[in-house]
Amino acid sequence: MEWTKSKLLGIAALSILFLGGICLVILPSGDERAFGIETPEADANASAKPEKVLKIATPNVIKSESLVGDYYLGIFAHLSNFPLMQMSEDGKIIGRLADHYEVSEDHKEWTFYIRDDLYWSDGVKVTPEDVRFSMLYYGEKDPAGRWINDTLESSSISETNNSVTFKFNKPYTRIDLEFTTYMIIPRHIWESIENPMEYSSKGPYVGCGPYYIESVDLNTARLIFQKNPYWKGKTCTFDKVEVDWYASEDAACLALEKGEADTYYKYASSYPYANIERLEKTGDFSFVEKDSTGICYLGITLNEAPRSDLRFREALAYAINYEELMQLDTLGYGSVPNKGLVPPGMEYYKPTEKCTYDPEKAREILKKAGYEDRNGNGIVEDKKGKDILLELMICPGYERDAELFQEYFRAVGIDIEVENVDQNTYMDRKDTSRYELVFSRTTPWGMLMHSGLGTGYFDSRRYGYIEDPAFTGLCDQILNTTDSDTLCSCAYSLQDYYAEELPVIPVYWKKVVTPYNKKFEGWHYNNLDGIYTLDTFLDLHEV
Amino acid sequence: MRYEAGATFEGNTLKTVSGTMREVVRKTLRYATSFLLIISLNFALPRLMPGDPVKNLIGEDVYVSEAVMEELRIEMGLNRPLYEQFTAYIGDLLRFNLGYSYHLHSPVAEVLRERIGWTLLFVGVSIFLGAALGTLLGAYAGWKPETKANRLICYGFIALSCTPPYFLALICLDIFAFELGLFPFKGFYDVPTPGSVMYHMFLPVTVMALFSASRNFLIMRGSVIQEKGQLYALYARAKGLYDISILFRHVIKNASLPIITLLALDFGFLFSGALFTEIVFSLNGMGTLIYDAIIGKDYPVLQGSFLVIALAVLLANMLADLLYAIADPRVRRPT
Amino acid sequence: MMQKEAYLQESTRRWKDSIAHYLNFDIWKYERTLKKLNREGLFLFAFFLVLALFPSLFAPYSPTERFISYESPSIAHLLGTNDIGNDILSELVYGTRISMMVGFASACISTLIGLMIGLCSGYFRGTLDELLMGFTDVVLTIPKIPLIIILGAFLHPSIWTLILVLGLLSWESIARVVRSKTLQIREAGYVKSARCMGFSSFHIMRSEIFPNLTHVLLPKFMLATASAMISEASLSFLGLGDISMKSWGIMLSFAFSRGGFIRDMGWWYIPPGVCITLCVMSIALIGFGFEERDKERGNRGVDAE
Repeated sequence: MEWTKSKLLGIAALSILFLGGICLVILPSGDERAFGIETPEADANASAKPEKVLKIATPNVIKSESLVGDYYLGIFAHLSNFPLMQMSEDGKIIGRLADHYEVSEDHKEWTFYIRDDLYWSDGVKVTPEDVRFSMLYYGEKDPAGRWINDTLESSSISETNNSVTFKFNKPYTRIDLEFTTYMIIPRHIWESIENPMEYSSKGPYVGCGPYYIESVDLNTARLIFQKNPYWKGKTCTFDKVEVDWYASEDAACLALEKGEADTYYKYASSYPYANIERLEKTGDFSFVEKDSTGICYLGITLNEAPRSDLRFREALAYAINYEELMQLDTLGYGSVPNKGLVPPGMEYYKPTEKCTYDPEKAREILKKAGYEDRNGNGIVEDKKGKDILLELMICPGYERDAELFQEYFRAVGIDIEVENVDQNTYMDRKDTSRYELVFSRTTPWGMLMHSGLGTGYFDSRRYGYIEDPAFTGLCDQILNTTDSDTLCSCAYSLQDYYAEELPVIPVYWKKVVTPYNKKFEGWHYNNLDGIYTLDTFLDLHEV
Repeated sequence: MRYEAGATFEGNTLKTVSGTMREVVRKTLRYATSFLLIISLNFALPRLMPGDPVKNLIGEDVYVSEAVMEELRIEMGLNRPLYEQFTAYIGDLLRFNLGYSYHLHSPVAEVLRERIGWTLLFVGVSIFLGAALGTLLGAYAGWKPETKANRLICYGFIALSCTPPYFLALICLDIFAFELGLFPFKGFYDVPTPGSVMYHMFLPVTVMALFSASRNFLIMRGSVIQEKGQLYALYARAKGLYDISILFRHVIKNASLPIITLLALDFGFLFSGALFTEIVFSLNGMGTLIYDAIIGKDYPVLQGSFLVIALAVLLANMLADLLYAIADPRVRRPT
Repeated sequence: MMQKEAYLQESTRRWKDSIAHYLNFDIWKYERTLKKLNREGLFLFAFFLVLALFPSLFAPYSPTERFISYESPSIAHLLGTNDIGNDILSELVYGTRISMMVGFASACISTLIGLMIGLCSGYFRGTLDELLMGFTDVVLTIPKIPLIIILGAFLHPSIWTLILVLGLLSWESIARVVRSKTLQIREAGYVKSARCMGFSSFHIMRSEIFPNLTHVLLPKFMLATASAMISEASLSFLGLGDISMKSWGIMLSFAFSRGGFIRDMGWWYIPPGVCITLCVMSIALIGFGFEERDKERGNRGVDAE
C-alpha cells in the first residue's frame, strides 16, 4: 500500500514538472514576441528621436568579461580604449592616441606626443601619465607584455609637451608597430586593481574613444558601446554600437542576411566566401573587397633530405595547381601568389616571379636532380633508393586542401601522407617545427611579427625553421634600422630569398570581403583591423 | 546461485535490516572508490593530451621568450613533478578550491556556478520534456505497434536519431529564426526577464528535447512491447479494464525501468552533451566551456567540470537505483 | 506437370537436407527464422550490403575522379558534384562500406560488451554487480573527446582506432539498460523455476533472459549504430577522424563546412543523411519482424508468476 502511494505521489510530481515545463516554454513565447516589439516603441515614445544603432555580427566569441584578459574583447575595445598607434589605410603606422612620435638615433629612446583633445568618459583628461601607467602595467602584469618590463630602462613624462618617453636598454626599431596592440587604460581607475588579467566586470568600462564600453554580457552574447559624452573629435552618426557574437559562423551569416546586423567582422578574416553570393541576392548589402596581407602557404622544414634540396622544393612548387586551390578555398576571391611570398598589400612589396603549375616541369626537375622512379611503382626514390613519402600536417578545416596536395604530389611521383591533427597538437608541433610539410595560414599581424614580411613564422629563432645565415642576417638588418631606404632594400632581398630558395611555398593570396548594409557609407579599411578602424566609426553615415 | 533463491523465501525482518546496512555500506564503498578513481582520471587525462598549456595561453602569433614561459609555468605550478601537482590538486579539492582558470580569468568555481545554472535550465527542461514526450509516445507506439500512425512516428524518431545534432540545430535555426523570423538567433536573453529567457530558449530546448525524445521513444517502445505480453497485462484485460488504462496503470510502470536508466545517463550528458546546440545558438553553457578548455588545455577548468559531471552521474545513478525499486517491486528484494 | 513440380520440390528438399547433414547445420530452422523477418528490412539491408561489397558496380565514376565543382544534378551527375568536383553519387556509393563498417562494427563491440556486463551484473547481483557497475560509472564519466585526442596522439588516427574507441566507450548505457531489465526479468517465474530445476547460470542467462532482452537491445543497437555513424563525422570536425576514408558522416560534415548548406545544395547534404537513416531503419525493420513473430505466437504470456 505504502509503495503505491509513494508511486502515485512520484508520478504526480513528475507530471507537474513536465506540465510546468511545457507551460513555461510554450505559453510565454507568444507574449514575448509582443514584448519584443513593445520595447523599442516604448523607447521611441520616451525619447522622440529613435536611437541610431550600428550592429556588427562577428563569429569571434568573447569568452570572459575581462577587458585586459580576454583576447577578442581586447580587440573590440580598441574603439573605446585607443592604443598609441594605428595602421593607416595604406599600411603605414600613424598615431591614434598619440599624435606623433620621435625616436632617437640609437633607437633606444621613443617619445610619444599625446593628443590634446582626448577625455575619458568620466570627464577626466587623458594624460601621458595614463600612457606610462598602462605600459608599465602591461609590462608587469601581462605575460605577452613582459618584454616591456624586461627591457625598459626608464620612462619620463613631459607635461609641457604632453608627451611620454620610454628609454629601453636595447635598440628597438618597431616599437610603433608593437604599440598598435596595447590599449591605453585610465590610470585613476585601474590603479587600484591588483590583477587586471583577472578583473572581470559586465561594464561599464571607462574609455577615451568616441564610444565607451557600456556592457559586455556573455549570456546575451552582446557587447554594447555607448557614446562618450566627452568626445571632442568628429561627431559620430550612431548613438550606440552593438557587437553581437555568434558561436557558429553559419548562424552569424544567417543573422546578417536576416538584417539582424549591418556588417560582419571577423578578425583577420573575410566573410565566408561561399555565403557571399547568397547575401548579395538579398540586395541589401554591398561589399568592401581588399587584398588581405594574410596568406596561405606550404611550409617545408629543411632539416633532412630530400626537403633540404632546393631542386626538390622547386619540383614541389611546380607540382601545385595554385589556381585550383585558390578557387577551392576562396571561390575566386584570391589570386595566384608570387614566389616572393609577400602579398601586394604590404609595405615594401616587390613583384617577383609568379608561381606556376607545371607538373611536366616538376617531373623533369626531379629526374634531373636524381629522384627517379626505378622500381616503377609510380613513386620516385630518394638518393638512398627509398620511396619518397612526406607527411603533410594540417589542422581541422584544411582537409580538402590536403586531399588536393596529395593528388598533385602523387601525380609527379611524391607520396604524401596526410596527418589530420587536433588544434592542440597542431599548435604544439607547428611552433616547434616538428613536421615535414604543413599547410597553414598567416594573419596580417603575424606577417608583421619579428622583422615583418612573414619572418616571424619562418626564422628559426622565432617559430620557424630557416637557419640559413643569409636569411637571419637580413632579419637582423631589418631589426636594426628605421631608415626606410635600408628597410626597402633589405625587404627586397628578403623577398628574393623567398623566391629563390623556396623555404616556403606560397599557395594563394586572398581577399578580405566585408559585407555592409547599403544604407550606410563611409567604410574604411586597413590591413590590421579590417573595417573595424577608427575612421570607419567616425565617417560612417546614412546614404 | 541456488542459495540465493532460498535466502529470499526465508528472509525475516532482522536479516533484512542487517542486509540493508550491509547494502548501504557496500554501496557507499562502491561510490567512494569510483569517485576516487574518477578524480585521479580527471587529473591524468588533461595532462596526457598533447600540447603545452602555457603556449596555448599565450596564443597564436604572439612571441614570448622562453624565460617568460618558464615563469608562467612556475606561476601555474606546471614545473613541479606530477605527484606534487597531484597532491596539491587533492589538497585543493579537500578545501573545495577548484583553482583558477588559465583562460577565463576567474576562479573555476565561479565560472562553473554561472554556467551550470544556465545549463541546468536549458538542458534540464529539454531532458524532462524529451522524457515525457518520448515515454508517452513510445509507450503508445509499443502498445499498438502495428498501426500506420505509430509506424510513421517510429520512422520519424529513427530519422531524428540519425541526424547529427549540429545539422538539426542549424536547420531549425534556418527555418524558424531565419525563414519565419519567429525566434531570435542567439543568447539566453535580451533583457534578463523570464519572458525573454523563454523566448530565447524555445528553439534550443525544442531541438534538445527532440533528441532526447527520440532515444527514449525507441527504448520505451521496445520495453512496452515486451511487457504487454506478460500475464499481468492479460489479467488486467480480463478484469475488463480499458486498453489505455492497462497501459498507463500497469504496463508503463514496469516498462519504465530502462527509461529511468536512460534519464540517469542523460543527467551526465546534461552538462556536456549540448555542445553543438550551444554553438549554433551561441549559448554560454557547459558544453562550450569544456570544449574550449580542451582546445586551450585549461587544466583547472577541465578538472572542475569533469568533477561536476562525475558527481552528477554518480548521484543520478544512485537515484536510479532507488527508483528501480519504487517503479518495480520485483527488483526490491534483498540479495 | 504436377509430378515434375513435386519432383523439383523434393529434389531441393533433399539437397537442403544433405547440406544440413554435411554441415551439421539446421537449414530448416534457419529458413523458418528467415521467413519471420521483415522482408523490406532484409531487402534494404541486403541492398546496402551489396553496395558496400561491390561499390564499383553501382558508382558511375571513381570517388576520387574530379569534374567541375559545385554542379547541380544532371544526367551526367545524378546528384551533382561537390566542392572539389567529385561525383556525389559515386562518393555516396563508396561511402557505404566505410559507414557500415564504422556503424556496425562499433555498435557490435559496444552492444556485446554492454550485454555481457549488464547481464552478469544484473543476474548475479551482489559484489560482482557492485564491481561492474562501479567500473561502468567510472567509464561513463571519462570524457570522450580528450581520451580520443590522447589515443590519436599515441596511435595513428585511423578508421580502426575510431571504431575501437567508439565501440569501447559507448557500452555503458547499454550495460545499464540491460542490467535494469535483467534485474526485472530474473525475478520472473520462469527464471526462478529454471533456477530451481538446477540449470546453470550461463544457460539461464542465454536461453531465459537473453531472448527477453532483445526488445531493449535492438533499439539500443540501432541508436549505437546511428551514433557511431554520426560521431565519426563530429570527430572529424575536431581533426580526429580519418579523412582518407570518406564515410557518409564525413560527406555530411563536408557538405556543411564547405558551403553546401548555405548554398542550398540539398542534393549534397540530404542523400548521406537519408542513407544513414535508411541503414539504421533497415535494422529497425528487421526488428519489427521479430515483433510480428511475437504477435503470431499470440499474447500467450511469458510470465508465469
